[in-house]
Amino acid sequence: MQASRARLFKEYKEVQREKVADPDIQLVCDDSNIFKWTALIKGPSETPYEGGVFQLAFSVPEQYPLQPPQVRFLTKIFHPNVHFKTGEICLDILKNAWSPAWTLQSVCRAIIALMAHPEPDSPLNCDSGNLLRSGDVRGFQSMAKMYTRLAAMPKKG
Amino acid sequence: MVYDSTTNASIPAAASNPKDFAKKKRVNRTAKLKQCKLDVRREQWLSQVKNKGFKEENRGVDLQKMPASDNKGENRPNVKLVINPSGEENDSLMSHYSDWESPSNSPIGDTSSLASNVSVTNFTGSGGSSSSSSSSSSGGESGGCYSGSITEEDDGDDGCLDDWEAIADALAADEIKSDHNHNHNHNHNPNLEHQMDDNSPQLEPVETNKVNHHRAWRPDDCFRPQGFPNLLKQNSFPMNLGGFKNVGFTPIACPICCEDLDLTDSSFLPCPCGYRLCLFCYKRIVEDNGRCPGCRKQYEQLDQGSTTSKLARSCSMISRH
Repeated sequence: MQASRARLFKEYKEVQREKVADPDIQLVCDDSNIFKWTALIKGPSETPYEGGVFQLAFSVPEQYPLQPPQVRFLTKIFHPNVHFKTGEICLDILKNAWSPAWTLQSVCRAIIALMAHPEPDSPLNCDSGNLLRSGDVRGFQSMAKMYTRLAAMPKKG
Repeated sequence: MVYDSTTNASIPAAASNPKDFAKKKRVNRTAKLKQCKLDVRREQWLSQVKNKGFKEENRGVDLQKMPASDNKGENRPNVKLVINPSGEENDSLMSHYSDWESPSNSPIGDTSSLASNVSVTNFTGSGGSSSSSSSSSSGGESGGCYSGSITEEDDGDDGCLDDWEAIADALAADEIKSDHNHNHNHNHNPNLEHQMDDNSPQLEPVETNKVNHHRAWRPDDCFRPQGFPNLLKQNSFPMNLGGFKNVGFTPIACPICCEDLDLTDSSFLPCPCGYRLCLFCYKRIVEDNGRCPGCRKQYEQLDQGSTTSKLARSCSMISRH
């Protein structure tokens, strides 16, 4: 409990310091609860998610950092490893490959990397995974781009 | 402060010299211990008695290095007469009395620094004031530094030890001066470099040999190789330590729980990958999945074997610097 608080507080200070350094990630701690965080990440370039801003919700367990934080997308995203309805993320480092050396910031980086390199063989979004597995990259990209434009971009007037 | 005690302390100086030798022996033993053993309890003890024991070491070392000063110092030949390695007690008295008698060196006139008073009286007391013209220039400057260091140390002194310590300091002033020559060389003090350059190269080998034969290095000894680990500094500035930079990143705080690493933790290297963490987090991880946070490899599970190998590894790591 105390350890997780101290650790999160340190990460908070780190985030404040590095805000300029990593323009793709914006980590914000909940005002009243240090165990709740939200993050805004920019879709990586040269992917269908480029230009979109995706919101992530972090729920940090009290055993953190021995236990991984729970992360899910709040923004709809068409991605093989993200549940389309719940936003749950299938990422090994959030499950069994978690290491206490990881931070919330590094989790965000890992999620950005996952967006750029989907793993269609362990899909949470079967439609998306099937498109990629059948080799229809163009179909996948157009779907993902459409959802990015619908959900992750500011509405145009 | 130092000067006052010098003038009225002739008898205590003679009486306290045997005690001084005993202290010197004790200091030698602790110095050897310091090099051989690196267990945590002793370090904690060291930090407890640091204030007191450190001072004693200072005195002991100053007196001990005196013989080395015989072989050098072309610009101040009088010192040779005074400082005799065999008879320190007599010397202290003799130089002291001659301090009283010599008219040329009344320290009241020179108020620039206390230590320069001490060193100047020491020179002229033995053989008159013939050498003061050559030596007083360096004595004045390096003595200035000396007074700075000595007042730092004496601030915490209890007054009863002041007297004989002051005498010892006066005797050792010449030695300390050469210490400061080296210090200045390290610091590249532009004022002193021109006059230190001619004598310091020939001094250095003599003194280093001397030091090597007789005792371990003090942590703040200027002859001590730079690469050696410095326990005192290690306590306070673990990040600034030069030796540790060779090994790798040594965090101040545990990266897992963000608590400060104490000495046990910082010498604790559970995984060959070099990832450090505190013992509490290590225990929690071992109870959980037992994998190193840095490389995800399993920690060694054998309790007995792992602790001994861990200890050996940490020790070898420390002695490697």
